Amino acid sequence: MKYLRMFLCLVALSLTACVSHVFTDTTTRLQVQNKTDVTILGVDIISEDGKSVQPWIRDAIEPGEKSRVVEEDWVGTFRVRVRFDKWNGIANATYCAKEIDVKVRPQVVVKSLAKKSEPNVIITDDYGCSQEGRVHMVYSETTLDFEGGSQYLVVSQDDDGNVVFKLK
Amino acid sequence: MTNAVYLEMMIMKTGLNKIFFLLALATGVAFADPIPTEALTQGGLVMRDRQLRDIGLVMRGGRGGFIDIGYTYTPSSEQLQLKSKYGDHDGFAFRHHYGIFGSWVLDSVSHLGFLTWFDRAGWDSQDFFFFPHYGEFAHISSAFTWGFSYTNTAYDATVALGLQHQNLELASQKVYPDESDSLLFYWAHARYKNVSLQASFYRNTFQTIRLSLDLESRELYGGTGHGFKTYLPNLNATIYRRKNNGDDDNFVRLNLEQNLYKQMLYADVSYDFPKGGFHSAILKYYPDQLSRMVGFEASCLRRNEIGGSRKLLWGGAIDILILRLAYNSAFDYDNMFGAKGTLIAEIHLDLGSIGGQFFGRGAAKAAPMETTQKSRDPNKGLYYRSELRNTGTPTVDAQGNKVIEAKGIRYEKVDATQGGR
Repeated sequence: MKYLRMFLCLVALSLTACVSHVFTDTTTRLQVQNKTDVTILGVDIISEDGKSVQPWIRDAIEPGEKSRVVEEDWVGTFRVRVRFDKWNGIANATYCAKEIDVKVRPQVVVKSLAKKSEPNVIITDDYGCSQEGRVHMVYSETTLDFEGGSQYLVVSQDDDGNVVFKLK
Repeated sequence: MTNAVYLEMMIMKTGLNKIFFLLALATGVAFADPIPTEALTQGGLVMRDRQLRDIGLVMRGGRGGFIDIGYTYTPSSEQLQLKSKYGDHDGFAFRHHYGIFGSWVLDSVSHLGFLTWFDRAGWDSQDFFFFPHYGEFAHISSAFTWGFSYTNTAYDATVALGLQHQNLELASQKVYPDESDSLLFYWAHARYKNVSLQASFYRNTFQTIRLSLDLESRELYGGTGHGFKTYLPNLNATIYRRKNNGDDDNFVRLNLEQNLYKQMLYADVSYDFPKGGFHSAILKYYPDQLSRMVGFEASCLRRNEIGGSRKLLWGGAIDILILRLAYNSAFDYDNMFGAKGTLIAEIHLDLGSIGGQFFGRGAAKAAPMETTQKSRDPNKGLYYRSELRNTGTPTVDAQGNKVIEAKGIRYEKVDATQGGR
């Protein structure tokens, strides 16, 4: 009898391994709302060194609009990059069609666009791509904890001109 | 009601084993450091080496049978996260394995054996028994070793050889480097008395060469169970072939297992040459009479971080027949992708048998499994029988009257209609 109980207990314990997907989300369904006054061009997950990019939300989101819900396998803590068309009046230049040479990437100049200290909006100015030194990308980065399931990301702007992220 | 709550309730209700409950509680709150993707891509090397080490231990006898089945259990998806270049992913690291060896007696001295060892390990966003979820960041690989053995007990020698397959079931291209998806290795093992040599090859190049000297006298293999001979060390040296950016990065790992007290307390130290130095030290205690089926261990391991600090990792494990609970143990660090900072449970069965004797892996003595026969005191039985015989028989008292002693009280319900009022 004792062994039967032990066996049943083990079976129950083992079953949690089979049915974990019932109570564990392995994907995140993300919707982004743009509460800034500029257009969001896309939301990506980027690697720590910034060299690898996995696009998540590919649609442009107009000010005040919401994106479509996109389901991806990102559950955990990741670095998120939100791209804007401009920030504080500095526009994103036309997209450079040339392939970016990885060896030229270290020449990228990062410049702050926010008014006060600890700004979180930056521009990359890629000399390797555009000889004239035109603005290549305006974006902001943050680290977010995705718990899985339906999640709602609100991107807004504070008084200092920084981007504020709120994940619900 | 979630499954976890149901499980806890069930454990509480049955009152069977509080350890299960404590396990669920502890693993639920203790979150470990995530495991790096590099550790997963090295998984094949680790599995193959561990299988060959296990086979080496089983070939020490080379006859009888051996079974080892187990799977690790980590209930929380935040317990062993995956650390990729993008961040930390929730999911489950897993290791499912079995090893089976069986042998047939050909004649009075020859034993022919067949063995299979299988490991499936990796990381997935869901845990599973047989059918993985195959998440977008999963890494699942397996190693399968099989072969034949021949043991001659007159010469006390064993030879074994076979193949070893390493298969990459799935590796997400997003986070893992390219790997060969299928590799075939050859292995061979030869033992004469307590000296054995083992090697594995890929095509015509060696992968590992291991020389083992089991100097400790073990009762299980015809040695003595006490005396100074049981205090001789078990040594093995393994040459590993490794490549680092195209250059040879071979190294030798030395293992020393030393009986410290009555084959119950052992020290197990491993050391890497020419660089690396101290790898791990484990103090193991196996209660007497249980033949390593129950064990307690404390371990200290020097973490081998790439370009980082090489701090010591202290941990321990409790192994009770079918359940092993470990925290930061050296074995789990080596075999579970550098898992640390969390409690890992392994549900397993690990049992060897030679000629009706049972033992745990690597044991010196067999566990006394004979059933003790319940013997009755014969005098007590006779007395009881004579008591029965005397019941109700009249005896003569001092006055010469016959006396009948009543034994027990009997109550009969009498029907009122028939009762003589």
